[in-house]
Order: sequence, then C-alpha cells, then structure tokens
Amino acid sequence: MANTKAGLVISVKEVTSLPHQPDKTLLQSLEAQNIEVHYHCREGYCGACRCRLLKGQVEYSVDPLAYVDDDEILPCCCHPLSDIEIEFS
Amino acid sequence: MKYTTFNQQNNDALKEPMFFGAPVNVARYDQQKHNIFEKLIEKQISFFWRPEEVDVSKDRIDFQKLSDSEKHIFISNLKYQTLLDSVQGRSPNIAFLPIVSLPELETWVETWSFFETIHSRSYTHILRNLFADPSAIFEDIVVNDEIKRRAADISKYYDDLIFATQLWQTRGEGIYDIEGETHTITMRELKKKLYLCMHSVNALEAIRFYVSFACTFAFAERELMEGNSKIIRLIARDENLHLTSTQHIINLWAKGKDDPEMAEVAAECHDEALAIFTYAVEQEKQWADYLFKQGSMIGLNKDILCQYVEFIANQRMSAIGLGQPYAVKSNPLPWMNNYLNSDNVQVAPQESEISSYLVGQIDSEVSADDFGDFDL
Ligand code: FES
Ligand SMILES: [Fe+2]
Ligand SMILES: [Fe+2]
Repeated sequence: MANTKAGLVISVKEVTSLPHQPDKTLLQSLEAQNIEVHYHCREGYCGACRCRLLKGQVEYSVDPLAYVDDDEILPCCCHPLSDIEIEFS
Repeated sequence: MKYTTFNQQNNDALKEPMFFGAPVNVARYDQQKHNIFEKLIEKQISFFWRPEEVDVSKDRIDFQKLSDSEKHIFISNLKYQTLLDSVQGRSPNIAFLPIVSLPELETWVETWSFFETIHSRSYTHILRNLFADPSAIFEDIVVNDEIKRRAADISKYYDDLIFATQLWQTRGEGIYDIEGETHTITMRELKKKLYLCMHSVNALEAIRFYVSFACTFAFAERELMEGNSKIIRLIARDENLHLTSTQHIINLWAKGKDDPEMAEVAAECHDEALAIFTYAVEQEKQWADYLFKQGSMIGLNKDILCQYVEFIANQRMSAIGLGQPYAVKSNPLPWMNNYLNSDNVQVAPQESEISSYLVGQIDSEVSADDFGDFDL
C-alpha cells in the first residue's frame, strides 16, 4: 500500500495531535510539527527512534532490523495506514 | 563437548539454540532459525568501507591549532577506542564461535568482528597522519591506568567465558583445580557466563564509544578534524548495527524464543546484568572526567557529556528490559543525531582519493599514459 493516504491523524499521547503528511515517514511528519524525536540511523537498524504504537496500524517502507518489542514501532521507516496513537517513553 | 570444525552428525540447525547446541556443520543460509542475523550480515556488508578512502590529511593542520587540553582529549579518545576495537576485533570470534550452533549467527559473529578490525586499522590511519611515528601513543595504551582499568573490565567477562568453554570442551562438566583455583563447570554455569558476557558486550557497543564520539563531533561542529569525524561516523554506523545484534540476542533469550534455559538464566541474572550496564555508565562518566581534567573544549563540558551518557543509557537499557534508571529526559546534545544519521555517512566521491602511506611518501599513481605503447 502506498504511503499517500491524506487526512490521517497522529496522536502523540499526552502531547499533541497532528496530521500525517502523505509521502513522508512518520518521523518526518512528527518533525514537520517540531516534535523532537530521538534518531540516529533513520533507516530502521539502530532503534533510536523506537516508540509504542497504542492504536492503529503502520506499514514499513524498509525491512526494520532494529530490535522492537511487539507493541513498538520505528517511526523513521514507517508510515500510518490509519489514524494512530503513539507514545514515547 | 569437544569442538569440531565440521560436525559430521546430521543435525537440523533449525532446531538448535543459538549457543551450546550442536556445532555448526554446513554453512547454509537458505533457511534460518533467526533470520535477523542473516539480515544483519547483509546490512553490515553493504556498509563496507576502507579507512584509506577517507582523506584525513587536513586534520594534521587542524591538530596543530588545538590547545593542549584539546589535544589530550583527542588523543586519549583515540587510545580508548583503539583498546575497545582491539578487544572487539578478536573476542566475539574467540568467545562465541566455539559455542555457536546456528550458521547465520556464526557468520554474523565473523562479519561483526571483521568490521571491528576495520575500525582498528582506521585508528592507525588517523594517527599515522598526525604523527611521523605514532608508537608512543599505541604503547601508552597498555601503560595508561585509566585505559587499563577499562580494559580489565571489558575483557573480564570474555576471558571468563573463554576459559570455562575451554575446560568444558576439553574435559567436560566437573570441578577442576587449576593453579590453585577451583572451577565448577556445568552447563548452567556456562550459560550464565555467556549471558553476562553478552551483556558486557552489549554495554560496550551501547555506550562505551559515545563519550569519544561526542568529542569527535564537537570538534567537527567547529569544522576541526573533519577527516577523523568522517571515519568516526562510519564506525558509529557499524557500532549501531552491532548493538542491534546484541539486543536481539538478549531479547530472544529473555522472551523464551530460543533456549528455554536461557530465559531462566536471564531472570536469575537480571540484577547482575543491570549492574554491568550501570557500572559501564559510571566508567564512561569517569572517562569524561579524565578527559576534561586538564581543561575543557569549546562546546562540551564534563557535565553535559555525563548527561548525554545517561540519556543514551536510558534508551539502550530500556531496549533490553533494564528500565530507564536515569532522570535525564531530553537529549542534551541534539546535534549528535546529525552525525549518527546514515544519510550523512557516505564517503563522497571527491573525498575518496586514496591516501596510501608508502615509505618515503612516494607517489605511486600510475596513469594509463605511463604505459606508453605497452600492450596490457
Ligand atoms: S532512527 Fe534508527 S531505527 Fe529509527
Ligand atoms: Fe568497533
Ligand atoms: Fe562494535
């Protein structure tokens, strides 16, 4: 599924809600709204951007190599498929 | 159990645990028990680089401009990194290969360790550019107390596992008196040693480089020592991948997705694992103290470096179920992210001029014209 769906909402728990920008990664959409997210590789292999996915679904654009727990995602290499809620610890 | 370089028993590696199962026989990757290691091998090989591709010659001029305290910081960090990669260039091979049971993990260990040797060679590349004779710097590594203290702590868990494995593979389980010391060799003890060793390596890959990385990139923020910074960015990219592998191994154990006995060992050794990590954090903070004790450098001080170590530690500890014990919540050195981003790492073609070190600095460049009429 292409990363082009418009109008999806990203809620960051206890912080804010913002629109997902089509053709951007989740990380880029967050950065576009000045949400500071920790990152290193931006390619899915270091795990620095790890966050929890509380609601909704995402799709990866590259095969993520970093270790993530079952309820965690890597915003640097995925995009939402639905409205989502995420949480940074 | 005796080690064999080619296990003639017909075994199914898909049913083996990562370690302490049957020795690997056929190096096959068409099927994998844990395919993450095959993916890591591919990724690591795609990162292949050579120190000689990075032109560090401008650093020599920059180095002369540094203050004495900045020179101390720069050189001390290189010594420490040389130590770390000296250990890592051999130890995963010696400690893990004799006990590994999956072909994809065996090859990952070899690939990982090989890249550490590239890191070691890059320190020689950097130092040869700065000094006509870098011997004094290398020689200080085994004399300098600050470095020796860290070396002892890093190699201890490896050495312990290696020795116990040697006893087990030559004599089997039992109690042995060797040079006045009693060694109890049971499978459970071996697995505990492996578990703690993996945590020690994980802590090394996770935080032990980051004080020196921060100093390197702080110089680069001032447009100083940029050749060195390019090399360190390539190293940091590899280290991130190494860390990912140790995090996967630790979590596969803890979540019972590999050897069920290792899940028990993980629960039993939780506090010891936590202590290994937090002690490494303390040592890194002491290292920051040692670096800055002769004076500071622009853009960095001891306190901010210590906060950065704690920030990184929180991230890396939570990834392996050790919580986030430090209070620091936001990244005190946000510009570090730019240097650790793989988009900024590629060696640009115009910079990849080969700077070979030949005796007497002879320019050995040979162009097609030099061959004149020779038929090649
Ligand atoms: S920044 Fe490295 S995995 Fe997302
Ligand atoms: Fe290394
Ligand atoms: Fe490493």
